Amino acid sequence: MKAVAPAAVVFVCAGLAPLVVHDAFLLDSLVLILIWGSAAAAWNVAGGYAGQISLGHSAFFGIGAYAAGLVVTRWELSPWLGLAVGALVAMAIGLVVGYLSNRLRGPYFVLATIAFSQVLLIVGSRWRGFTSGSEGIPVPFRPGFWTLGIADKRVWVWITLALAVLAYLLQLYLDRSRRGYQLVAVREDEDAALSLGVPARWLKVAAICASAALTAACGALWAQYIGFVDPFYVFSVDLSVKFALAAIIGGLGTALGPFLGAALITTVETYLRAQFGGIGTRLIGIYLIVYGCALIVMVRWVPHGLVGWIGERLRRRVTARAET
Amino acid sequence: MSLLSIAGVSKRFGGIVANQGISFDVAPGELVGIIGPNGAGKSTLFEIITGFYHPDEGVVSLDGARLTGLSPDAICRRGVARTFQKLRPFQGLTVLDNVMVGALTRTRDVRHARERARELVGKVGLAEKAEAHARTLSTGQRKRLELARALATEPRVLLLDEVTGGVDQRTIPELVQLVRDLHAGGLTVLVIEHNMRVITAVAQRIVALQLGEVIADGPPDQVTRDRRVVEAYLGLAYTQ
Repeated sequence: MKAVAPAAVVFVCAGLAPLVVHDAFLLDSLVLILIWGSAAAAWNVAGGYAGQISLGHSAFFGIGAYAAGLVVTRWELSPWLGLAVGALVAMAIGLVVGYLSNRLRGPYFVLATIAFSQVLLIVGSRWRGFTSGSEGIPVPFRPGFWTLGIADKRVWVWITLALAVLAYLLQLYLDRSRRGYQLVAVREDEDAALSLGVPARWLKVAAICASAALTAACGALWAQYIGFVDPFYVFSVDLSVKFALAAIIGGLGTALGPFLGAALITTVETYLRAQFGGIGTRLIGIYLIVYGCALIVMVRWVPHGLVGWIGERLRRRVTARAET
Repeated sequence: MSLLSIAGVSKRFGGIVANQGISFDVAPGELVGIIGPNGAGKSTLFEIITGFYHPDEGVVSLDGARLTGLSPDAICRRGVARTFQKLRPFQGLTVLDNVMVGALTRTRDVRHARERARELVGKVGLAEKAEAHARTLSTGQRKRLELARALATEPRVLLLDEVTGGVDQRTIPELVQLVRDLHAGGLTVLVIEHNMRVITAVAQRIVALQLGEVIADGPPDQVTRDRRVVEAYLGLAYTQ
């Protein structure tokens, strides 16, 4: 049984923070951490639990962002509806992509996912009649909860917190349920899992579908929060890498890990942009170098991520205390 | 009345014939050994029975129902479990979790699966290692783990690919006794084995393969004296 207490503390603190903190910058950071954390958790469902390492998840994020943006601008409907549409479209596409890439393993699967997100980038940036092409979509601000026109960042903290808790609960289900055990078996050795009666093929597809739908929901809320959908950002490989990196740094296949990873990445990225953004634009991309270095360090020396590392420390301390 | 029936199975890889018209039946409760030199097609036959390879010709059926054409996981759920020659435990999981994956094929209840797994881990003599990660086990312990994991799927037929290969001499008798116990409990077993002392001790019947074909099929003492088996596999020294 994996303890839920640390996660409960983290989420309760995040929920109470707006009552204490009034600084707009800090609240903005918290909202972004919750969105990126949820997206990393969604990525973790496919990448961490099922072992389907994707570097194309920005595709699903972009689908969610575009769905919400287009539903609002083209049909003047609620972005909540856009969120639902985005999640369903992403799920359907996840079904197709998951089915087509079912037999691809390791690097071949990764390449297929990158290619897929780049195809959507081309569609998003060229289909001028529908997506407004490379100009992107400015999302109009219409006050109200139903229209997600919310200026108060505290409310945004609570909305994105609900998303984060949902993402966490999905992972918790995988930690404890029959399907979760089977999914992890597929990650560890697909043939061995098949030989034990695990329906590996459809479990992988199901994991990708769930992950895609949740990622799209993150994209939809992000688009409403930021107020602008840029195809070159929402479909970028950078963004896919960010989701994967947050999950890897936090701890692959752990429920709380992606949120810790996202908190760290978002903080470092914000700091570096603020530090180096001023000195001309030459160093603005320095956070990408930091991403790369962090990835190497984590994979080489801390393969189980922060959650694994902290857990190991605690275990050692407990056993050391028991021995003395 | 046969439980597992292999009828005219052939498999070619390019120009190489791995299985050629293999046919034999396995009766319920029987323990059949499969012998033959390297490359005779023993493992290929296992892969075909368990659905990892699709035969070019022929049909495998269990209790009259066709298995050929089903996916490996569906075949397992029908009641055919296997171990791998090259062991494939779930390295990052504990021994107990490894076995639970098998048990969860038969029950939806995680707690029940855990109890069942604990029972089987004890049965194969790994109780002390239940919480250890599979990657920390010795080869002999991994063999036991694979056995427990396969048993957890409650098979009607168990396929063992090399029970004693790569295991040190002292552990062999224990593994042999384990297989004997399972058979005594009514399980139908098909075992590939190179150690002739082991196979003659446990098998009621031996099927010998050479170059993808069945060259002998019968009781151990008869097959081990068969001229073709001696020439192809055992060598003259064995009979003297």
